Amino acid sequence: MPATDFQESSSSPSSFGFSILSRRRDQVHSMESTHEATSQEIELEAFQRQVAERFQDLAAADSHELLSIPWIRKLLDTFLCCQEEFKVIVMNNKSKLNRPPMERHISDFFERSVKALDVCNAIRDGIEQIRQWQKQLEIVLCALGNQRSIGEGQFRRAKKALVDLAIAMLDEKDSNTTLAHRNRSFGRHNAQREQRSFGHFRSLSWSVSRSWSAARQLQAISSNLVAPRGNEIISTNGLNVAVFTMNYVLLFVMWALVAAIPCQDRGLQTHFYMTRQFLWAAPILSLHERILEEVKKRDRRNSCGLLKEIYDIEKCARHMNELTDSIHFPLTDEKEREVKQRVEEVRRVYVAIRDGLDPLERQMKRRKMIWATVLGIKRVKSLNLLDGPSYLLKKLQFSPYQKKNIEQLKGIDTIIAKSKQAKNPTTAQRVNTPGALERPRLAEDLSSVYNPSLMQMLGAAKRASNFILFKDLWPPNSLKSKGK
Amino acid sequence: MAENGEEKLIAVARHIAKTLGHTNTMTEDILRIFSNFDGRLREKLSDDGVKQTLNSLDRKISCFISADATIWSNSADFYSFLDSVDQLTAAVREWTPLADDKNISSSLDRAEDLLQRSMFRLEDEFRALMEPGAKSPDSTGGGAAHHPDYSDEDDDASVEDDDNCVPVAQPVTDYDVVVDALPAGTIGDLHEIAKRMVAAGYVNECSQAFSPWRKEFLEESLSRLGLQKLSIDEVNRMKWTQLEDEIEKWIKAINVALRILFPSERSLCDRIFLGFSSAADLNFMEVCRGSTIQLLNFADAVAIGSRSPERLFKVLDVYETVRDLMPEFELIFSDQHSLSLRNEAIAIWKRLGEAIRGIFMELENLIRRDPAKSAVPGGGLHPITRYVMNYLRAACRSRLTLEQVFEESVAPSVDCRDGDDKALSSSSSLGVEMAWIMEMLECNLEAKSKAYREAALCSVFLMNNWRYIVQKVKDNELGTLLGDDWIRKRTAKVRQYHANYQRSSWSKVLGVLKVDSNSTSPSGASKSLKEKLKLFNSYFEEICKTQSSWVIFDEQLREELRISVSGNLLPAYRSFIGRLHAAPDIGKHMDRHVRYSVEDIEARISMLFQGTSSGRR
Repeated sequence: MPATDFQESSSSPSSFGFSILSRRRDQVHSMESTHEATSQEIELEAFQRQVAERFQDLAAADSHELLSIPWIRKLLDTFLCCQEEFKVIVMNNKSKLNRPPMERHISDFFERSVKALDVCNAIRDGIEQIRQWQKQLEIVLCALGNQRSIGEGQFRRAKKALVDLAIAMLDEKDSNTTLAHRNRSFGRHNAQREQRSFGHFRSLSWSVSRSWSAARQLQAISSNLVAPRGNEIISTNGLNVAVFTMNYVLLFVMWALVAAIPCQDRGLQTHFYMTRQFLWAAPILSLHERILEEVKKRDRRNSCGLLKEIYDIEKCARHMNELTDSIHFPLTDEKEREVKQRVEEVRRVYVAIRDGLDPLERQMKRRKMIWATVLGIKRVKSLNLLDGPSYLLKKLQFSPYQKKNIEQLKGIDTIIAKSKQAKNPTTAQRVNTPGALERPRLAEDLSSVYNPSLMQMLGAAKRASNFILFKDLWPPNSLKSKGK
Repeated sequence: MAENGEEKLIAVARHIAKTLGHTNTMTEDILRIFSNFDGRLREKLSDDGVKQTLNSLDRKISCFISADATIWSNSADFYSFLDSVDQLTAAVREWTPLADDKNISSSLDRAEDLLQRSMFRLEDEFRALMEPGAKSPDSTGGGAAHHPDYSDEDDDASVEDDDNCVPVAQPVTDYDVVVDALPAGTIGDLHEIAKRMVAAGYVNECSQAFSPWRKEFLEESLSRLGLQKLSIDEVNRMKWTQLEDEIEKWIKAINVALRILFPSERSLCDRIFLGFSSAADLNFMEVCRGSTIQLLNFADAVAIGSRSPERLFKVLDVYETVRDLMPEFELIFSDQHSLSLRNEAIAIWKRLGEAIRGIFMELENLIRRDPAKSAVPGGGLHPITRYVMNYLRAACRSRLTLEQVFEESVAPSVDCRDGDDKALSSSSSLGVEMAWIMEMLECNLEAKSKAYREAALCSVFLMNNWRYIVQKVKDNELGTLLGDDWIRKRTAKVRQYHANYQRSSWSKVLGVLKVDSNSTSPSGASKSLKEKLKLFNSYFEEICKTQSSWVIFDEQLREELRISVSGNLLPAYRSFIGRLHAAPDIGKHMDRHVRYSVEDIEARISMLFQGTSSGRR
């Protein structure tokens, strides 16, 4: 599908999100003429546009490129860029993101991100799986590639590798059912012997348990993902549009990865909330549609992954198989030429995979790492930097070793300097009902009168809290045992 | 002429060989002797020699290849087979440069075909040897990890080895253990096969026969150690107590894996692929990769998870475990193939550090957000003070680790193993963090004290809490971190609050007892004395009534406070009573006016600050 389609479709209904932001900006202009609000809204609009542009770029891929390793890498790059831009928005709007309803949207996003991290882990296993197949191709090349003349022996070797490859790919596809039958005990070699050829390519999905399902994970990511309504957009200054956008991008990228790369219980029936009101919706939904069409194609329906290179493996393995079946010795010159041709085909596929997988895996890992770090820090930092520079200045006054700490804080300071925000922590305070107070003696007494947030923390620390609060018996068991 | 003669010589040589050699092998041998004898013969005889060498090898090898039973079960057969394969490989290598010759070329094809069939057979043999329980049909599993000193006795190939397969999932105290997954004899056999397969270019097939069982063995071992495969999502949803148990199991499992299982696998790879270091590295990585990722993923999930403060101690455990295993990671995953696993371990270790810093930030948040309105009755110790102080004290037991963690946030590339000598200088970051948390607590307590309407009670509240803080800080790591100066200032603060209390609570009473030197007329004086006494009685009554319900949690402080109150009040009261005696119209009716004797006052004061239990009754 050519890229121009999206331009067309984006011009009419998809500018809805936009227009609301603009309208809001107009209101702000007329009422209070605040420049800050404008810059924030410009930032949000830019985010929408950038996401849309990136996905238009992805959607411009022709059917040959779509779902190839280079395309997947581009998809990951796109995701990271969106993530980075989103991060900036989060940093600039911390104070707003810490208040309802944005607080809830952000924590929903974190939840989805955690689920997506699991998908990434499974995808990494899938990449490893493809690498195993690559090894079988290597054997085929080794057997038939560099030979002076091709004899029966080499063909037998290649054939065996092809059979193993077919079993491995089949195995991956049925991993769910076969894995369930696995007997988890050491004394099973008799049974194992019979299915030896199956056993030694057993796919091992390391990251997740056998019951884990990519389909269910995608379902969980997509649940409750609905475009924000107009009044919500206005009340959050459009911030929830940014969060929704990031959520949607996250869902689509994970879905596309699962579609392309083998992983446990792939299922692509995830419901995609159909929305046309955003700039980026058209290219994403078009990609979604095109990938679904790929699924429906007859020769791909039973595939273990829509990755173009997997298709190439299947294809060249099939050709090679047909060839080995039809071959008689001694080889005619014509057959020999055909063999050479097929071997070249295998080599091309092999090289594409060899050269593509390593960077892809590195990219996966790197993305995963950056992302996990961001996730972890953000959980707290978004709350903690509420006070802005004053928090840090105060901290500086303390420092007995100021030099070091100034270095440490400079980085954060510049980030904060960018954000102009309220530093009033009182808004964050929770509801509190002191009531008639009795002198607290037990945790249970306390819970009725004491601040819920702290009590939550205490209640959760069940084992420790009694010691901490009321008996002063420390350390808890874990620390005691460490002492030795 | 010469050529003719040569041809004759060759013909004779052939004839001799055929006549003398009753079997093909013998003929072949004789021809070989001849060709070694004279270089001219070699060339001319080779054609035939090639065929015959091949025929002989073919016969021997085909016989082995078609055998139903495993070849390795008879070691004489096994070595004879390997010998033949060696000869075949050598022959192929020797003939390949001569492949332009039509005759040699066709023999070479046959030889390669034979070689390929030998390799298939070797692969099967290899796999059969690798299989758990291959050498003992009735394996039951559940064996023991063996100490190297007696496990090596299993040289005899028929000794059951399955027992050696499984490490025991019992508490491991001694990590100086090697799992001998396979008996030494088997390993030797495997090495012999691997050597041939690698030499013949079948390294991929060999590692496919090798790694799956070992991989499975590791996976099995981890599951026997109680480790589940958990996704990040599952870890995140888990109840904390359950997760604590998982962390315990994980700590055991990763220690066993890095200290026993992986090194054992490493040595197994090194022994089987002896002489082929690249193949050994590759296979080792293949075997350990999955288990390592499983182990690291769990730590990753813990690092990503919630930052609630009570998690600190377990996250510290995980952090310390990974840190302490870093030398093992670096040692085991040092080759180029497994380097990425080591790097991942380092990254997750750092991330755990971030998680710990995050937990402290979360603690700050909780302190800061704790509502100011919730005042404790009687101005006693606030739960938040107890919680925070005990929490920090407990945290400071892991001071060295925490210093490392906070130091990392300043200089990300701090090497942990220098930790000890840096201990003193690196206290800065953690010290700042602790001081900051104390500051948060101080602000929060100040805000909370405003909830008391009486200034004196406000002072009592702060006095109580600061007394507790100072007590908790003294004589431990926390105090060292905060420094003597900090403690001194806070002790002074307690004294300040004490003085404030005295002033706001007792100055009015003491003021009543002051001698009014202005009035000179005796009747007027005694009248004012009477009124003053009345005032005193009511003030004192009121103070005692309210303050007996106030709380001073610390006995010593309570005593100090009473003593200082008595010390101020009693002399003034005594002299006031004395003046009453001296007053003409009151002295006679002292009983009517004076409600409290000095002793009574003292007794009442000693009843102050007892809390609600003895309070308002």
